[in-house]
Amino acid sequence: MTTQILQKVDHSALKTNQIIIISLNVLAFILNLPILAALVALVMGIGSALKIPGFGFVYKNLLKPRGWMKPDVLNDNPEPHRFAQFLGFLFMTAGSIALFVGASVLGWSLVWLVVALAALNAFGGFCVGCAVYYWLGRFNLPGFTKQPPAGTFPGMKPKMGASL
Amino acid sequence: MSSEILLRFGLAIVIIGLGAFAYWLINQRLLVRASNNVFTLFKKLPNKPVLVYFTTPDCVPCKTVQRPAIDRVSNLLGEKLEVVEIDAIEQPDLAKAWGVMSVPTTFVLDAHGEARYVNNGVARAEKLLEQIQTL
Repeated sequence: MTTQILQKVDHSALKTNQIIIISLNVLAFILNLPILAALVALVMGIGSALKIPGFGFVYKNLLKPRGWMKPDVLNDNPEPHRFAQFLGFLFMTAGSIALFVGASVLGWSLVWLVVALAALNAFGGFCVGCAVYYWLGRFNLPGFTKQPPAGTFPGMKPKMGASL
Repeated sequence: MSSEILLRFGLAIVIIGLGAFAYWLINQRLLVRASNNVFTLFKKLPNKPVLVYFTTPDCVPCKTVQRPAIDRVSNLLGEKLEVVEIDAIEQPDLAKAWGVMSVPTTFVLDAHGEARYVNNGVARAEKLLEQIQTL
């Protein structure tokens, strides 16, 4: 097995991103505001393009400086998390389009799917998008080159002692 | 308009409730698994509540929040509580047997060795005390 170089990934920034996505999507559903779901999709898209968590600015500029949330820096691969956000962006975009063309059931189902996956990641420590990334990597697809940190189940939050 | 919002709010609560129920079911499964593996930790039960704490040497939240919380609980309860700390990197088989996927994870066991509570992620001292007091 080849040794890969892991990077420092702040999971608090990822968690903030997930919790904001969950909150805004639930609010969009309750208030029946497809525009809010579309806004979430847009921010996730911008985050994917810039290779950062879309709502990570809330953590970086508000929660972290005020000490309301402590950094949780782990040795991890950032690429699967970016892929997971991109996957979420695709679902959110599809959901928003469905909502704007009147396919409410399909649209809100896709939005709730994103909520469920984000909640599983934020509260259960399992990133489905990351698991899909590692699974695709097994087929040697270009761009899916990273392996899960040593001793970590694909998609699970790594234990800190993972090899550097 | 407001009745529609109420309806959607109710629906959101039901969906979130179903999610929380699924999470509860997973935790129950973890507790059964932990109870079945108690004797991987003890040859003889200590006949008092046990706090099983899974950690790793480099886990920052373990050092900054979980360890001080456990020390506080341990100081408050003294001999009435047994604390078992397990390094999930040093003992991966044990972590696997107990179903531990991330650290910190804490299990609260009663005096009969039954796992009664599991905390995935950081558990504050107040929460741990509350769990131990209900045993």
